[in-house]
Amino acid sequence: MPRKKEPSLRNCIRELRAASAGMTQQDLADEVGVTRQTIVALEGGNYTPSLTLALRVAKVFGRPTEDIFELDESP
Amino acid sequence: MTAMEKVAWTELVICVVTMVVVSAMVPWLGHGAAGGFGLLGLIVGGSLFLRSRGKGVVVDERDRAIEMQSLRTGVVTAWMTLFVALIAATMWSAHIQAPGVSTQFLNWLIWVQFVICYAVKGLVAVVLYRRQNAA
Repeated sequence: MPRKKEPSLRNCIRELRAASAGMTQQDLADEVGVTRQTIVALEGGNYTPSLTLALRVAKVFGRPTEDIFELDESP
Repeated sequence: MTAMEKVAWTELVICVVTMVVVSAMVPWLGHGAAGGFGLLGLIVGGSLFLRSRGKGVVVDERDRAIEMQSLRTGVVTAWMTLFVALIAATMWSAHIQAPGVSTQFLNWLIWVQFVICYAVKGLVAVVLYRRQNAA
């Protein structure tokens, strides 16, 4: 029986960061308390963040979490 | 490259070097070549990468998740190979009607499990970092 693929999270962090004048990946990483590489993985959609990190990111951009993260259930 | 990624590379490289050195010494030293496994002690040196520099984050939730997943895979692989090796050794001893398994064989087996555990842990961590860092 084939295993169902785990749904992942899409996000618009890169766009929001670009809209926030001059915010670098390192700035965001320092704000939310992770390494810059984790922000790279997040923006690339290669890492699903914990709820705590998702809430921290949402707080930095002053947006609701569901505006930033969206469930990707495409097969 | 994050500090934990450097630690994973350190573990992997030290395990590979140790296996090469031990394999190369076997023809000359025989069972004494097992002393080469002492090189595994260098794995502790990987913790030097975890020194905090300034106010930057050194280890975060992604590093911890990868560490847990790679450790779990390494330990499970080592346990499974240990079980299989012990079953094979016991069956072989019974087949040749030997009184028991030699302690030298067990010594080698334990060291090899140790190498397998850290090599698999390092390899899984490196692969996960590579996969996640790919933009």
